[in-house]
Amino acid sequence: MNEEQKRDYQEKYRIAKLRGEKFFPDTIYKDVLVSFALFLLLIGLATFVGVAPEPKADPSDTSYIPRPEWYFLFLFELLKFFPGSLEWVGTAVLPGLAVALLFLLPFIDRNPRRHWKNRKFAAGLMSVIVIGMVALTIRAVVTTPPQAEATVAGTLAERIVAGQDLYAVHCVECHGAEGEGGRIEGVQGLEGVTLKPINSQDEMHTRSDETLYAIIEIGQQTLGMPPFGRAYGGELSPGEIESIVAFMRYTWDDRAEMPRAAEQASTLPVLKPGETPDYATHIEPIVKRYCVSCHRPGKANNNYLMRTYDEVMNSGDHKPNIIPGDLRSNLVRMVRWEKIEAGGPMPPSRPLKPELIEMIEQWVLAGAPEKAGAPATK
Amino acid sequence: MASKLIGWLDERTGIVGVYKTVFDRKIPRVNWWFTLGSASLFLFSIQVVTGILLTVYYVPSPEHAYDSVQYIMTGVQFGWLIRGVHHWAASLMVLTVFLHMLRVFFYGAYKYPREITWVTGVVLLLATLGMGFTGYLLPWNQKAYWATTVGTSIAGTVPGIGDFILRALRGGADLSAMTLTRFFAAHVWMLPLVILAVISVHLYLVIRNGISAAPKDDE
Ligand code: HEC
Ligand code: HEC
Ligand code: HEM
Repeated sequence: MNEEQKRDYQEKYRIAKLRGEKFFPDTIYKDVLVSFALFLLLIGLATFVGVAPEPKADPSDTSYIPRPEWYFLFLFELLKFFPGSLEWVGTAVLPGLAVALLFLLPFIDRNPRRHWKNRKFAAGLMSVIVIGMVALTIRAVVTTPPQAEATVAGTLAERIVAGQDLYAVHCVECHGAEGEGGRIEGVQGLEGVTLKPINSQDEMHTRSDETLYAIIEIGQQTLGMPPFGRAYGGELSPGEIESIVAFMRYTWDDRAEMPRAAEQASTLPVLKPGETPDYATHIEPIVKRYCVSCHRPGKANNNYLMRTYDEVMNSGDHKPNIIPGDLRSNLVRMVRWEKIEAGGPMPPSRPLKPELIEMIEQWVLAGAPEKAGAPATK
Repeated sequence: MASKLIGWLDERTGIVGVYKTVFDRKIPRVNWWFTLGSASLFLFSIQVVTGILLTVYYVPSPEHAYDSVQYIMTGVQFGWLIRGVHHWAASLMVLTVFLHMLRVFFYGAYKYPREITWVTGVVLLLATLGMGFTGYLLPWNQKAYWATTVGTSIAGTVPGIGDFILRALRGGADLSAMTLTRFFAAHVWMLPLVILAVISVHLYLVIRNGISAAPKDDE
């Protein structure tokens, strides 16, 4: 801009100000109104949408699909257009150029006119760039596959309950449902080995959470305890191992007090007077805690899987293991600690508590219903 | 009584002069697009307040970061609200700052005599994005960890100095406790101080030059 154009602008600006308004209160009320609206919006978003829970960072989980914050998505997407040896064009040249242009804009753009209609090139270029950014963002959202759903245990009580389920699946076959140990039966490679209890106060008072975490993550391979951490070839994430440790600590350590909410969720359901047991309410919790650890894919179990009602009723080499109404069913006889043609007593190392065995018997007698009020299966 | 008190104060501080230059001034008639700057300023203040409250419980170490955030969400009174507002205001601020820049661009408000206001604005835009990038890692969850792994490795592909930038960001070859403390320092000390200082200059210039008028179509 030359001196004349500058003077011209200042003069016009002086007149615009004369015809204008007072910053306080004419203009500032708009600012306050907008800020207040934003404030309400923020409270609403925090209350009704919240922050999506995410599992703890797991450096060994390379299957995780990285996803930047939404306002970086366009950059992320842009890089896909510069594969291999051209990568640096997308990562360094284009962003560097964009930032340099932004800084220098007032010195490059010497056009004295201000209305966008009189700055067709500048306004057009910026519009194309913004539309491009929006398009790239949309493309990124549409093309990234959804993340595998991971459950996130938030509160301590939720962690303990999640840990209990994980313990039931992964540990019961060797350590028993209560961590009581004893002679291992029915586990390949460790048949007849005797484990010391891991639920004793000796164990709990001498092992810190960190030590327990490390034992589960790395295992004790010379003694036969397999590693469970993903980094060591196991299948548990750090969050899952932490949940198991929380379960062990709060259930077995007499110094730790079990939170109320966890206590309720972890006790097995009891029969109310006059109630008939059904699978979903009464039997599934027992099966989950005492049987699934061995009766899931990849374990020795005569192909008898017990993850769902359907599997419990219809799988196994000696199926049906449950005949509704018949106390001579394989499963009933085996939990009564009999040795029959289908195999040894179940669970192999020590019998279920009498009240649980009775519950299973009543359920079979009632026709082995799946849900409360559902007709008995044939 | 009140006027006497103000007179007494003014004699010693010049407060009335400050009030006159900041609030009691004539400006051209402006529209709603001109509120985007003050909206950015408001959101930044929200971030400062909620951010300071979050640091009371947040622990910047890989062992405790996740649990401390978990504790803020479930154990601290209104912790969920503080974190929720901080989370959403971060996104909103990027949006308002960007729209504010577009407003300034399409009104040609970066031209004489407001070139330096624009340059300080670009610094603010980059610093705001930097806040988003560094803040994203702090909860130390899966999303945070992997997005930052990828983000920093992108910086590593810059020809020549890429490896240096990567190590400077991560504090080593891999993402580690060093990365977390570095990002924490940048997020709560370095970048906010830069933003605070540059906002001061930015606002000084806005007041000094006066807000531009929306251009007419013969301008
Ligand atoms: C394949 C069988 C097997 C499975 C499954 C298994 N463990 Fe072990 N575990 C062992 C053996 C063997 C030892 C050696 C300790 C012993 O000899 O008593 C052991 C030891 C331990 C110890 C005690 C270590 C010590 O020195 O104090 C803990 C705690 C433990 N396991 C926890 C677990 C947890 C939790 C799980 C489930 C995630 C699990 N284990 C699954 C076999 C197993
Ligand atoms: C420590 C591992 C282990 C646990 C725990 C366990 N089982 Fe088994 N189960 C086996 C093995 C191994 C077999 C194969 C037969 C055998 O070796 O006795 C089997 C077989 C069975 C069979 C016969 C399946 C068929 O079709 O041949 C039934 C029924 C059964 N189990 C029921 C149960 C029930 C009910 C529970 C829980 C209360 C349970 N098991 C807990 C290891 C286990
Ligand atoms: C933290 C971020 C920012 C804050 C808090 C902020 C704040 C403000 C405020 C309150 C104004 C007064 C006028 C208005 O609201 O429109 C303003 C004006 C201005 N801003 Fe920003 N701003 C920020 C970022 C930016 C960016 C990213 C740019 C451009 C790259 C920019 C360039 C300008 C210019 C040139 C003006 C003068 C506009 C005129 O006189 O019409 N600012 N800013």
